[in-house]
Amino acid sequence: MNAKKVSANVVAVLVAAFFAFPTYWMVTTALKPKKDLLSSSFDLIPSSVTSGNFVTAWTKPGFLQSLGNSLLVSLSAVVAALVIGLLAALAMSRMRFRGRKGFVMLMLVAQMAPFEALLIPMFLMMRDLGLYQQLSSLILIYFAVTLPFCAWTLRGFVNGIPIELEEAAMVDGCGRWGAFRRVTLPLLGPGLVATSVFAFITAWNEFLFAKVMVRAEDKETLPVWLSGFQSAFGTDWGGAMAASALFTVPVLVFFLIVQRKMVTGVTAGAVKG
Amino acid sequence: MTAVETTDAAVPVRTSSPAPRRAVAGGARRRRGSTFDRLLPYLLLAPAVIGILWLIGFPVVSVVVTSFRKLDLGELVRGQVVWVGLDNYAKVLSDPRFWEITLRTVVFTAVVVATSVVVGLVIALLMRQLSTPVRILLQVCMLLAWAMPIIASTTVYQWIFDQQYGILNKILVKLGFDYAGHSWFSTGTATLSVIGLLIVWQAIPFLAFSLYAGVIGVPADLYEAAGIDGATAWQTFRAVTWPELKPLLMMVTFLSLLWDFKVFTQIWVFKEGGPSGGSTTLPVLQYLEGISQSHFGVAAAVSVLMVVILTLLTVSYLRKLLQTQEGKL
Repeated sequence: MNAKKVSANVVAVLVAAFFAFPTYWMVTTALKPKKDLLSSSFDLIPSSVTSGNFVTAWTKPGFLQSLGNSLLVSLSAVVAALVIGLLAALAMSRMRFRGRKGFVMLMLVAQMAPFEALLIPMFLMMRDLGLYQQLSSLILIYFAVTLPFCAWTLRGFVNGIPIELEEAAMVDGCGRWGAFRRVTLPLLGPGLVATSVFAFITAWNEFLFAKVMVRAEDKETLPVWLSGFQSAFGTDWGGAMAASALFTVPVLVFFLIVQRKMVTGVTAGAVKG
Repeated sequence: MTAVETTDAAVPVRTSSPAPRRAVAGGARRRRGSTFDRLLPYLLLAPAVIGILWLIGFPVVSVVVTSFRKLDLGELVRGQVVWVGLDNYAKVLSDPRFWEITLRTVVFTAVVVATSVVVGLVIALLMRQLSTPVRILLQVCMLLAWAMPIIASTTVYQWIFDQQYGILNKILVKLGFDYAGHSWFSTGTATLSVIGLLIVWQAIPFLAFSLYAGVIGVPADLYEAAGIDGATAWQTFRAVTWPELKPLLMMVTFLSLLWDFKVFTQIWVFKEGGPSGGSTTLPVLQYLEGISQSHFGVAAAVSVLMVVILTLLTVSYLRKLLQTQEGKL
């Protein structure tokens, strides 16, 4: 290895440390006993370890409730968006019909809609529908946020499966539905997983609408509950870090599964030239 | 790297099926189901289109309509419709605070996007030079940053930058700087700098991974040719890497603009737009006007202006993107 290569590697290790540090700090803080946290001693490396903070966070009033709310809202929205998005993707990708171009453009444009700017009409609309203060308002909104993304991304994945495979299945006596179920759907598996995970993370992370649409404490989602940790935890940073870590784990697991797929999925439409 | 292509030919295709059957089956199907077949794509699209028109299209129209109404809590409760024409816009646009906030939002977005794209590109180029274990280490560490939910990372940053017990001040004191009890949130600019760092830190991994995929996609013989011609590293970058990477770079810059312009969570959780409004951006203003103070008409005007500004920032790329996509279909 020459000097240039060595220095590149050294720089890379420092950059890696910069990116990993907050995670390191979250985990070690969560593992530190309370008395060590609010001290002025230099404590980059924990001297003793406890699981007490995790117990505190887990048993804190509202944690399990908001965890359940978050799961309910995110999963319902994503399942709906995925199924409906897949139907639209199949039509856009596999069929020839009048107005197809227009529908594809609709998905593309809808995907870029700045949802934050629709806060006021969304709020008024949910109020008129009698869904203000209901978790179902969040399900509808997250469904709308993730649907164009699901339809658009799945269209890309379906495009990548050669239509000849389906035709071959139909030659072998499958109906259109059979060809889809036996050939396209299994091949689409990884794409479906990647799309749903990213839609799920979008919903899981969402804060603004969750804060505006439901104010009642028992309807809070996890991000809103966690943002109010100052009142829930006081200066209990250990508890706050443990709760943050618990909030991170599911996302991290999903991320590791699908990371490679998504980079190309999101930028697939890059303008050439 | 394209996920889409890895699925090709993963299933054994049976090619030995008798050809006549195909003609018979196909012909029968065509005759039997022609009306259904013609309607099928529309039936498949219907739920998605209805969902989009109802939950996106209608609010888009509604935000414009609302921006021409006086709609405070009183009107809302009474169900009154009061048209005020352009009053809301006049009120917003004549407020010097709005221009200050707009300028702050645009500058903040520009700095965050530029920093994250440039650093992301540098890291993508750096990754090519690394030995495999170091590259994997770097990728895993970036993944950790990328995957952390926004509220979790915001909470962690608050703790790192804590005035009294934050690790950053402790480290700086250890290094001999006088940062004991230093507050990182005493002014709006200081607060936005910390928030900007947080956003850049979380944005870089996506950018670096995307651009790295582009970097390794550049044909190796182009580099060989540049090497034979005796090009310097900078010349190689200008002549080989840059043209190949430019479309991707434009794309991720565009996406970053869309994402970073409307950041709300981090800014709100840190200081709710404070101290004394110093870190308020347009999305925060919209929230304060609309939700906190129930001036829905004024807030809707702010929303519309937000979209106008975002469109102005991205219009040249947006036009190109839509044209290219339309051409591809």
